[in-house]
Amino acid sequence: MENVIEIHGLTKRFGSFTAVDHISFSVRKGEIFGFLGANGAGKTTAMRILCGLSVPTSGGGTVAGYDIVREPEKIKRHIGYMSQKFSLYSDLKVWENIRLFGGIYGLSDREIADKTSEILSSLGMADVRDSFVASLPLGWKQKLAFSIALIHEPDIVFLDEPTGGVDPETRRRFWELIYDAASRGVTVFVTTHYMDEAEYCDRVSVMVDGRIGALDSPAGLKRTYGAEDMDGVFRILAGRALRKE
Amino acid sequence: MWKYLIEKEFRQFFRDPMLPRIVIVFPLLMMLVFPFAANMEVKDINLVVVDSDRTDISAELIEKCTGSGYFRLKAVCDDPREAQEMMDRNAVDAILTIGQGFSRSVATGEDVPVGIKVNTVNGTKGSISSQYLSDCIMLFMRQFSVSGPSVASAQASVLQSASAPVIDAAPKYYYNAYMDYKVFMVPALMVIAVTMVTGFFPALNIVGEKEAGTIEQMNVSPVSKTAFIVCKMIPYWVITFFMLGMCLLIAWLVFGYVCRGSLWGIVLFTVLHIMVTAGLGLLISSYSENAQQAMFIMMFFVLIFMLMSGVFTPVSSMPAWARAITYANPLRYYADAMRAIFLKGSSVAELWYDAAGLLTIGAAVLFWAVRSYRKTS
Repeated sequence: MENVIEIHGLTKRFGSFTAVDHISFSVRKGEIFGFLGANGAGKTTAMRILCGLSVPTSGGGTVAGYDIVREPEKIKRHIGYMSQKFSLYSDLKVWENIRLFGGIYGLSDREIADKTSEILSSLGMADVRDSFVASLPLGWKQKLAFSIALIHEPDIVFLDEPTGGVDPETRRRFWELIYDAASRGVTVFVTTHYMDEAEYCDRVSVMVDGRIGALDSPAGLKRTYGAEDMDGVFRILAGRALRKE
Repeated sequence: MWKYLIEKEFRQFFRDPMLPRIVIVFPLLMMLVFPFAANMEVKDINLVVVDSDRTDISAELIEKCTGSGYFRLKAVCDDPREAQEMMDRNAVDAILTIGQGFSRSVATGEDVPVGIKVNTVNGTKGSISSQYLSDCIMLFMRQFSVSGPSVASAQASVLQSASAPVIDAAPKYYYNAYMDYKVFMVPALMVIAVTMVTGFFPALNIVGEKEAGTIEQMNVSPVSKTAFIVCKMIPYWVITFFMLGMCLLIAWLVFGYVCRGSLWGIVLFTVLHIMVTAGLGLLISSYSENAQQAMFIMMFFVLIFMLMSGVFTPVSSMPAWARAITYANPLRYYADAMRAIFLKGSSVAELWYDAAGLLTIGAAVLFWAVRSYRKTS
């Protein structure tokens, strides 16, 4: 199978602190790839490098076929990104946010209009088209942000703790959207703190102290570590960390 | 892509609870309140006269002084100590002493015993008061003598003494014939308004996106940093010219001041100045993490710019080291050019020096700003 992300010996140092320490892995096309790790294990830093927001100190690789060191701006055209920190403009209306991001990724007015009605009807948000994003419940904002991250039909979508702060039912619905995107061939790269969500991934990597402690399917990991669920796996691996938060 | 970004900025601008109001109120305040409030003209100087002569002629001199409109006669007394005591209490600003034998001296053309004593705690006010007072005495003396008497102050004042010169030089004031301070300040106030809106609002805006985290979403998108920044500034440029138009209109309607030079000259210098403030605003935003930080850095620059620009006090009267600093101050060039165009009708060619100053500073600041702003870390 084709790999959409290939990383070799990726390292990022901040002064004397090595946030990401020689990590290598690859992600297959259409896969839901879970990227786990305790706070401070280096997962956000690694993800920022993959998105072209941060330059690695050494090592390298490709994302969507482009070099992460030399061609970060080309990568940006082919990825979607949604972060835990709210990335939509709260003082713009729902349709205005859709229009802005559609325009940024080079969609025409006509394509934007089509996408807007498509997104709103699939999310059941047609009624709030003219509401300010600030007035929406958190779960709705997250779903909207996810749909907007996919507006330009990217190869890969990066989700940084996309479901923080919402109830299990809302999270489950959010994961339906993720499955839906994956079924259309979009690769999903997701970081999370919820171990039930880790179970939904095709493969999971667990970062410990800037390195990849383990990488396998959830079933494979549970077998290897003799744990009942992903929570058990995570406890065993995170327990090995020397680095404190 | 630009279209969508500019649209976004305009929407956000008009939805901001404060900004659109500030843009209307700020020029109104600048043009309608400050010219009256921040006024350096000295009027209503409280005067006490120590008249030891007590003749018609001395009374005529007092009349001459109070008739000028600058002085308010508080008292006429006989004892110099009484007058001094009034000045000590801050009841009066100036003491005019008319010595005994004043009327006789005037008639014979001898040295006239007149003394001026001025409170110079406020140096500007003091020196202007003494100037006015000696001008009044001189005018008075001229009536009596065709040959021009030598008038010397008999009582040398401790604080400020004035003697009327023998040579009579009559000044003629050009470009601002009545030395109206308001005329002088109007172009300068426009300069301040433009500086605030073009430099600092965009900087606060960018820092705001940093705080909200939305800048990250822009940084992972293919938006180039030039597009992102220029689109942010365009609305502020439009607004600046709107404000400038408002200021010019108020100056004309309220004060009757019309720009003597070409409006294109004003536009050109404003564009040059925008280059500088925009660059500076960007620099501030790329070095600040939050709005408070940005505000403090701005305050620092604004204060230095204003005090060292010649907007309020002339650059030529600054000490050499301070004058050296003003060469790096964009406001110095912009204020100078705006005043010259507005009041004198100078052409752009005559102001090449100011244009060159602004261009140099602008190029340096913009170069630095573009280098310091990064999409990736």
